[in-house]
Amino acid sequence: MNFNLALFKVDHLSNFVGIFIVFFSLLIIFYSLGFMNQKKRLVQYYSYVILTLLASLGAVFSNHLILFTVFWGFLGLLLYLLIGFGERNRTSYTGKKAFIIIGGTDALMILGLALVWKLSGSFEMDKVSIALNSKLAIAAYLCLAAGALAKAGAMPFHTWVPDMAEDAPVPVTSLLPASLDKLLGIYFLARITLDMFQMSALMNTVLMFLGSFTIMAGVMMALVQHDLKKLLGYHAVSQVGYMILGIGTGNPVGIAGGLFHMLNNAIYKSCLFLSGGSVEKVAGTTDLNKLGGLVRAMPMTFLSFLIASLAISGVPPFNGFASKWMIYQGIIETAKSGGWLWIVWLVAAMFGSALTLASFMKLIHTVFLGQPSQEVKSQGDKIHEAGLPMLIPTVVLAGLCVVFGVFARELPLKIFIIPSLKQAVAFFGIWNASLSTVLIVIGILAGCLIYFLGLAAKSRRTDSFVGGEDLKDFPDMRLSGTEFYSTIEELGILKYIYRLAERKAFDIYEVGAKIVFGFNQWLRYLHHGVLPTYLAWCLLGMGILFYILLIR
Amino acid sequence: MIYIGYLIVFGCCLTAVLGLFTSWVDRKVTARVQYRVGPPVLQPVFDVIKLLGKETLIPDGASKLTFLAAPVVGLSSVILVSTILWMNVIHPQQTFLGDLIVVLYLLTVPSMSIIMGGFASGNPLASIGSSREMKLILSYELPFVLAILVPVIHSHYSIRLGDILNMQSGSGVIIGNFSGSIAFIVALLCVQAKLGLVPFDMPEAETEIIGGPFVEYSGAGLAIFRLMKNMLLFVMPFFLMILFMGGIRFDGIHIFNALLKYLGTVALITVIRNTNPRVRIDQALRFFWGPMTVLAIIAIILAYRGW
Repeated sequence: MNFNLALFKVDHLSNFVGIFIVFFSLLIIFYSLGFMNQKKRLVQYYSYVILTLLASLGAVFSNHLILFTVFWGFLGLLLYLLIGFGERNRTSYTGKKAFIIIGGTDALMILGLALVWKLSGSFEMDKVSIALNSKLAIAAYLCLAAGALAKAGAMPFHTWVPDMAEDAPVPVTSLLPASLDKLLGIYFLARITLDMFQMSALMNTVLMFLGSFTIMAGVMMALVQHDLKKLLGYHAVSQVGYMILGIGTGNPVGIAGGLFHMLNNAIYKSCLFLSGGSVEKVAGTTDLNKLGGLVRAMPMTFLSFLIASLAISGVPPFNGFASKWMIYQGIIETAKSGGWLWIVWLVAAMFGSALTLASFMKLIHTVFLGQPSQEVKSQGDKIHEAGLPMLIPTVVLAGLCVVFGVFARELPLKIFIIPSLKQAVAFFGIWNASLSTVLIVIGILAGCLIYFLGLAAKSRRTDSFVGGEDLKDFPDMRLSGTEFYSTIEELGILKYIYRLAERKAFDIYEVGAKIVFGFNQWLRYLHHGVLPTYLAWCLLGMGILFYILLIR
Repeated sequence: MIYIGYLIVFGCCLTAVLGLFTSWVDRKVTARVQYRVGPPVLQPVFDVIKLLGKETLIPDGASKLTFLAAPVVGLSSVILVSTILWMNVIHPQQTFLGDLIVVLYLLTVPSMSIIMGGFASGNPLASIGSSREMKLILSYELPFVLAILVPVIHSHYSIRLGDILNMQSGSGVIIGNFSGSIAFIVALLCVQAKLGLVPFDMPEAETEIIGGPFVEYSGAGLAIFRLMKNMLLFVMPFFLMILFMGGIRFDGIHIFNALLKYLGTVALITVIRNTNPRVRIDQALRFFWGPMTVLAIIAIILAYRGW
């Protein structure tokens, strides 16, 4: 037995993930100062958050798989405890669900560890290198990947993310599923995919299929949600698809794109959740039907939310576009080795990003623009911009969306992403974001010039024109935006899929629970409390035992 | 610096002039179809100048900054797209990899700016129009992406517009292939929707929701939106020409050829718009996700077989 174990190891990849874990944790602790005040059990809350930070760092820097699993399991427990700070009735149920899904996949991971030990005889990440050529190796990879995917919230282990987004407090959602869990899950997926296993073409295809499916299914569900936080939760699922897709391409550009997208997603998704939290704090609800017209009260929150939603929809020149562009490039690279599946992946990714844009346009309309609802109007002057501790993190994150987009090549790619890859990434000529930004700015200047030529200064406020009616007489004449996409909901086969999804037919937890309870139902007949039956069973069992032990 | 030069000369000025001219062609042809005389050549220019002279009205309940910024953002992205396209035509070798994707994404920005402008105006009619525009984007995006993959497959999986152009100048235009012509038809109908022309003008639908997102715009804001739409009327056919018809070449008879191709595409768009009634948004959704997507997939399969 070799006792010279390398328990911890620092390399470029873990360094880069570690830096951002600390960054996000600090921002969210700062945000919590504003959001969580006047709540109970604050000492516990902050200590759990700090423990989460420490456990994540431990997981990222550990090189020994057993140690890694310990930190990883600890994170699952902290997730459960942190969800408990939510104030809705369903919170305990949601916490249990998240804990069971995460815990169940952790069990799979431990099984995977045993298989890794059997295959390679080592638990140290940097010494394991397994070729995916036997069934056992494939099983080991899938077990470990299941743990990573559940943590990141990819299909089919995604269902805890939207539920918890709805029920847990916003800083917790923003800390765990939106940023740290994504970083960790994709970090581990990258570790096993790039270092510990030598990927086969088949396994790459499986990953890419999972990625595309996650993108499409997640975003289609997001499209029809009626709750701000739940909608964002489904996007937290859908975006994982891009990262898995990028890593699944197996070529350097795609992998770099996947890792870059992991970073970008953490930035804009936390920003979205935190701005959503500000809205919740100020307006007292996240029900989309009861929001509207908040832009005049909360201009800065609106601006951050707008930038982050443009970034997540992949609008140039924000950061989401830079990483998506690299992932597309990676997908098209795979086309050169033959096959036609790349078309499916590419269309899923590109169309998925149009759907993302659509659902964020809906959000922007229903929450910030559009006509204010009765509830918002009745609160009147009570609605105002969020306090500084809540505003600063959102604005910082929105600023990062712009900086990482415009200087994609100079800053994040050069400092963090490219060094983390073992291979050199060949960029044949790249989307030059800085130049394009300069050009966009010139275009905007040209537009402003036209305004200047016109008489923009001579502006006048008027009432809205609604065919001669007066809007003030009809307070109900407003479009809340929740029904924007009911056309799509009612379309052909989609109608049936949405109905099934509403009944939670695709929820691995609900389906699993049904199967388990179905067995229970059956077993319950044996336990009806009648003594003679139990005695009969005992006799029967004894008879069988005697038969096996004595007579045979 | 050379890029900025291209931007100002080709992206802004030339595209604006050609766009306004195209808009005149469109209006003239429409007038002739309807047995009218039609406007003089400079009418689109006069329209924009007239709008610049009007005062800007900002509706109550609007978000002023978003309302005024939306047209400018849309215009600047059209300018950027046209600059990229012109650079590709002039120097097919010097462009960057993946510009096709950049162009595709930038082309959704004008529609997005219309949506944002409509939302920001705080008018219920504008909200309805904007939501239709968003659904329209969703519907045409799927077949449009599929149709654009056909030239990509023909040019050996290159997503550089310059490579697609080179391939076509070497071995014939893509529309000459069976798969290319099917994909062109699909893409043309998608462009029709992207430009918001009949039969896919339900976001504006003057007779129903009074211009949708534009209902509250006046003065300079409306002028910029007008200019943006006119420039798109040039940029979209130009984009299709690059993808399917070998773009524009600047030697001898080719200039005349390019002009013919361009006017042909524009005439096709105008004729479609003049001979069809407006459809409902769910009909458009069904049309694009159903027959158009199937047609685009057939085109891709044919392209794979080398037809």
